[in-house]
This record gives sequence, structure tokens and C-alpha cells, in this order.
Amino acid sequence: MDVARGRLRRLLAPALVLAAAAVAAAGCTGDTGEPTRGGDRTLTMWTFKKSHAEALTTAAAQFTKETGIAVKVEAVTPDDVFVSKVQSAAQTGGLPDVLEVHSGGEDLEMGASGLLQDIRDDVTEAWKQRLLPTTRESGVLTRQRIDQAAADSPFKNAAAGQRFSVPFTAGAFGIVYAHKDKLKAAGLAPGTPPKTWEDFLDALKATTARDPRQGGLALGLKVSQTGFNWIYQPLAHSYLGRDRFHALWAKGAARGFASPEGVETLELYSRLTPYWMPGATTLGIDEADIAFAQGKAAFDVGGTFTLAFLAQNGVSPAELLTFPVPPSAGGVNKEISMSPLALTGLGLTATAKDRGAAVRWIDWLTSPAGAGAVARKSLDLPATDLGAQAESLVGPDLAAMQKFFSGPPAGAYDAADVSFQPSDYDQVKPGDVMVRLSPLGELTPGQAGAELDKAMASMWKATG
Amino acid sequence: MSVLTLRERTRKTAAGASGGARRWSSRLTGVAFVLPAVALFLLMGVYTIASGLALSFAKWNGFTPRWIWVGVRNYLDLLYADPVLAAELRRAAGHTLQVMVAVPLLTVAIALPLAVALNSVGRLRAVFRTVYFLPYVTTGIAVYFAWRYVLEPDGAVNLLLRATGLGSLAQPQGFLGNPSTALPTLIVVLVWSSVPVATLLYLSGLQAIDPNLPEAAQLDGAAPRHVLRHVTWPLLRPITAAIVLLGIRDALHGFQVFLVMTRGGPGGHSDVLGLMAYRLSFFKGLAQTLGLASALGWLLFAAALLLTLVNARLLRAVR
Repeated sequence: MDVARGRLRRLLAPALVLAAAAVAAAGCTGDTGEPTRGGDRTLTMWTFKKSHAEALTTAAAQFTKETGIAVKVEAVTPDDVFVSKVQSAAQTGGLPDVLEVHSGGEDLEMGASGLLQDIRDDVTEAWKQRLLPTTRESGVLTRQRIDQAAADSPFKNAAAGQRFSVPFTAGAFGIVYAHKDKLKAAGLAPGTPPKTWEDFLDALKATTARDPRQGGLALGLKVSQTGFNWIYQPLAHSYLGRDRFHALWAKGAARGFASPEGVETLELYSRLTPYWMPGATTLGIDEADIAFAQGKAAFDVGGTFTLAFLAQNGVSPAELLTFPVPPSAGGVNKEISMSPLALTGLGLTATAKDRGAAVRWIDWLTSPAGAGAVARKSLDLPATDLGAQAESLVGPDLAAMQKFFSGPPAGAYDAADVSFQPSDYDQVKPGDVMVRLSPLGELTPGQAGAELDKAMASMWKATG
Repeated sequence: MSVLTLRERTRKTAAGASGGARRWSSRLTGVAFVLPAVALFLLMGVYTIASGLALSFAKWNGFTPRWIWVGVRNYLDLLYADPVLAAELRRAAGHTLQVMVAVPLLTVAIALPLAVALNSVGRLRAVFRTVYFLPYVTTGIAVYFAWRYVLEPDGAVNLLLRATGLGSLAQPQGFLGNPSTALPTLIVVLVWSSVPVATLLYLSGLQAIDPNLPEAAQLDGAAPRHVLRHVTWPLLRPITAAIVLLGIRDALHGFQVFLVMTRGGPGGHSDVLGLMAYRLSFFKGLAQTLGLASALGWLLFAAALLLTLVNARLLRAVR
């Protein structure tokens, strides 16, 4: 009996010592948000943007100097690899502390699925005031979003009001870039953007007439939804006005894409057919931008974020004329303006080991100092409102992009507004139809309208 | 009838007992050696297969802690219930069928004459073999990217056609950008990468043929083409069957070439079933389509199984 007791004691003693050490260690890494003296606080972060990784690493060095908290940033690209890596890491418990994710959907899905923590209590009113007004509520799971979700969506099991990310970068889609030298060579004014869709088509006609092989429009149509999202949607929005535009997606398709007005918008889009650069359907988004940077096209369509990529590929912003997709002369809105939407957000993973340090890192990254440091290096617009400091913090080229974010709110195209779309909306389906409309020319605008309505009906059915 | 003394009986009993112990020990040793492999198979094979099968009856996006059971809805949606998805599946199945027929046929049509020629070459045979085997050694993602550059509007193929006065055959949108040339071009690339192995298999088959047989046929006055058709070809039939099966298997499951070179485009004209399954798994963001992808995988498995059974039956009939 004594022998057994002695053995038990021998076994318990080291276990108690280990437990005490663990408790002490846990106490040291408390949730205070303060750097531990002599302690090693290292955060890990994943981003799906390569151009952000370098900028984040540079910013992290500054953050470490200020707080003593080290941050290891890793880029996981492209997007599908990022998603599958997060999927695997979620299953194996290998998630980092902080994730940079797509705003307006991916962040909410990950949060509702239990991968990201609710940080609404951390994001104070003062913190929110730092952000651009139209991005402040991005990352918050609203009641409307839950109600619209399909019956089997993970949103249905999540509480409304939770915040799963803080907006990090902002911008807009549907921004056209043009080589000034090609415009000049075609007899066009290199400093004057086309005012209407028809003017834009005329400019394309002039540049392709001047150089049929390298005077067209670049867009990565291998990712078929780019044409639909970046050109068609802003164009149709300005042509029809917001309410009528939303009705294109509505359940039942009474005023859908095959309606007379819907077909008119598709016809406007199909006028691009002669002007696509050769092989546009074989290029991905980055490849099309690279082709444009190499001078293989006169125009390129992307977003505000494209400027950074073009600069990385050797095109100086001074060589470019930049303007949003112009409205059609016959449309409702004669001027186009865009609401800046949060493009990416920062989320705190459910398995973050040092919550205090991770929140502090996110807080710093979305402060003017942190956001400015990342923006200047990555040439990507921050969601943080830099106010009068914008030009000094991010430089003149990036600050100039913000001019597209002005205009009458009613007429502004808000790409973040997905309230009128089915909750299981799959952009690829309409994207494929648009490629068949233009450049392939396999469908007439009327046929494309009918196909789009069919695709929407299928998605509404899945939503239930 | 022999009478055993007590001593002999004891010795025999002891020997029997020790033999039994040895047998058990030997059995246990065998089991111990096999156990890791069995455990690995149970975990990596049986578990993943069962899990995949179960997933095909559920909706899941890879993140949520629980799956949502939907019964056979994923299968029905793919086959007919969802008009958009079913149409996508039918189109991809049609393209897959074209690849399944064209790739093995063209591979056999090119690899067999090539192997016969290589077999008859006396000098530099090793050099020729290396040259023809090169595509297999270099094949992979990087080579598919290289093919893309060769096939783009300003690529080497168009340049060559224009330079040789065959500009009318050049493709202004590139060979992968034209809906009518995208799939045939991909088939050519697939044939290019499968010919080396097929040639090697045929070459080994040709070298295994008793030289007396073709020689006897030639002595009887058969021309080389008759020898090939009536002597060599029947003897190589099992190898042809293997090559055809490999081609069909690759066509059913392969998606890398399609993903890298066209991503199913332009406008879905080169979409295949393998790529569709990949797309449902990884290109749908966080939509709950992993179950659909799994169901499609099982449909592909069923098709492969059916084809294998038909093939085995045909082979038996040929023999």
C-alpha cells in the first residue's frame, strides 16, 4: 500500500510542477494587450494578396518597434489555394492568429462557421469613426443578411450584430486604365477621359483602327465573371438606375435580364465585341494586366487595386489615364460615381493564442499610421479615412483615385450591396453567359438575357 | 499398432507444444509486420473513401462544424433536378467523352508506328528513345504553361503558320481562345504527353515477340504492313488495351491541363468532368458545394467501374 502511494506521489509531483508552470505561463500571456517584458509575443498572419505581404512585413517591423510584438506575415496565393489552406488548417487546428480575407462575404462565412471571433466589443465607436463611412459596417453580420440566407446557410445559426472583421482595404471595381501614348497615337486627347459609354466605344474604335493587334481592351476573361462584374454591372446600374437594376436579379424575373430594358443593357455591353484584345478569353486577371502593362492593349479594366499591380509591372501611374466605366448617353444616370466598398478585412481567428496582441495589431493596421504605411508600400487604398493626410501618407497617385468616390449617393454604384441577389449567388454562372455574348458572339442579347434569367432562377431555387 | 512409451509420448507432446508456440509466434510476427500497412489503409483508404461517400449525401463548405444531410439531392441536382448544373454536367460529360475517345485512339495511332520504327532502327536507338520519351519526363504544370505561350495569338504556332504562308490557318484569338479549336488543341497536348509511355510499352511488347513469327510471315511473302496488321498487332492487343484503359482513366479524372490552359473556357467549350469537380470543390468560395463535388466524384467512379467491366469483358472475348 505504501509502495503504491509512493509511486503515485512520484508520478503526481512532476505533473503538479508542470501544471503550475503552465498556469504561470498562462498568467504571463494574459489578455492585457501589453507587451510582456522579456516575453516572446509573436503573431502569425496570412494574406491572400502577395502585394500586401511585403507591405505588411514592413509595417510589422514598425509595429514591433512600438509594441515589442513580432508579427510573421505569410502570403498564400492564389485565392483558391488560400481558401483550401484555411479549410485544411481549420480541420487540423493550424490557423494563424490573424487572417486578411475578402470583405462582404468570406469574412462573414468564416465567422458564422466558427473560424473567426466576434470582435464587436473590441471595435469601439472611435475605431469605427476612423474608417470610410461606407465601409464601417462591413464585417458585421446583419439581421437582413441572416434573413436572406438559405435555410441551410451557416448564417442561420449565428447571432446578428457580430463583427467578424475590420475593413482593411477599400476601393471600387470598374476602373478603366488607358495608355496615354496609345491614345495620343490614335489622335485622342490623352488627358481627357470619355464622358459616355459611346465615347468610350469610339475611343476603342480609334485605338484598334490604329493598331488592330495591340489597340484593344484587356480583361482577364478566363475568369469569366470579370466582364459581368466590372463592366456590365456599373454600366447597367447607370443605364437603368438603382431600383430597376436591382429588379434584373429579382425572384421570378418579371423584369429580369430578358425584359426589354435588360436586353438593352446587354446590347450595350455586346458592342465591345470588336474591340477585345486578341486572346482575352485565355487570360487570367493578372495575365491581362501584365499584357496591358507590356503594351499589348490600349485599355485595361480592373479596380482601384489594379494600379498597384500595373506599377509593379513597370507602368508609371503618370503614363496612364484612369476613369470609371462611363455611363451610356441614353441611360438614367448621366454621371458615374462609385461607393467605395471594403475589399478586404482583418479577422481574428478562433484559435488565436494571444488575443490581446492580435487585436492590437489589427487596431494598429487600421490606424492612419499603420494603414498609410501599408498603402504607400502596396499602392492599395486603405479603408481607413486618411482625410487631409491622404496625399502625404499614400502619395498623389493613390490619393487621386479617391476622386471616383464622390458623387450623388443615389446614383452611386455600390458593389458591396448584394441585398438583391440570391444568397448562394455564384458569379461564374452569369460570367460564362456574358463571355458567350461577347467576345464569342454565340448568343444574341435576347438569348443571353434568357440564359441569365435561367441561371438566376436556379440560384433563387437553391436559396429556398 | 505401435505402443509409445511414456518417455516418447512426453517428448512428442513437448515437441508439439513448442511447434505450436513457434507457429503462433511466427503468425504474430507476420501480423505485426502487416498491421502498420493495414492501419494506414484503414485510415487513409477506408476512412477517406467512406467519408467521401458520406459527404456526397451532404452539404458542406469545409468550414462549418456540421454537415447538412440532403440525401440523394446532390446526385439528383447533378443529373437533372438543377437545370443549370445538369446542363453544365451534360456539356462537361460530352467534352470528356470526346477526350476519352480521341486521346487513346490518337495515342495508339501515333505510338504504334513510332515503336515499330524505333524497334527496327539499328543505330542511335537509345538517342531516339530518349528524344521520344522527353515529353513524358518534362510533362507537368510548367510544360502546360509553355504550351499556352506557344498557342497564344502571338505565339510560336501562329508565327510559324504566318511565316510559312499558312496564315489562313493561324488563329487570331489563339488556339485556346477560339471555341472551335480549344478542345481539339487540348486533345493534341494530351496526346503529346501520353505518346511516350505508350511508345515505351509498345516497344517492350515488340521486343517480347518471338522474332521467328514475323520472320516466318515474311518468308511466306507477307509485306511489312501485313506482318504488322496480321502478326504484330494481334500480339500487341493486351498492351493496346492497357494504353486505351490508361487514356480513358486520364480522361475521366484528369483536370490539370484544362485548369492550367483554359480553365474550361472559352465560354465552357473545354470544360470536362474532372475540372467541374475541382471547380465545385475549390472555386466556389465558401458556398456549400463540397458535397456536390463528392457526388460528382462518385458518379465518375461509377462510370470508370462500368468502363473497366466492359473492357474486361471485351478483352476476354478477344482472347
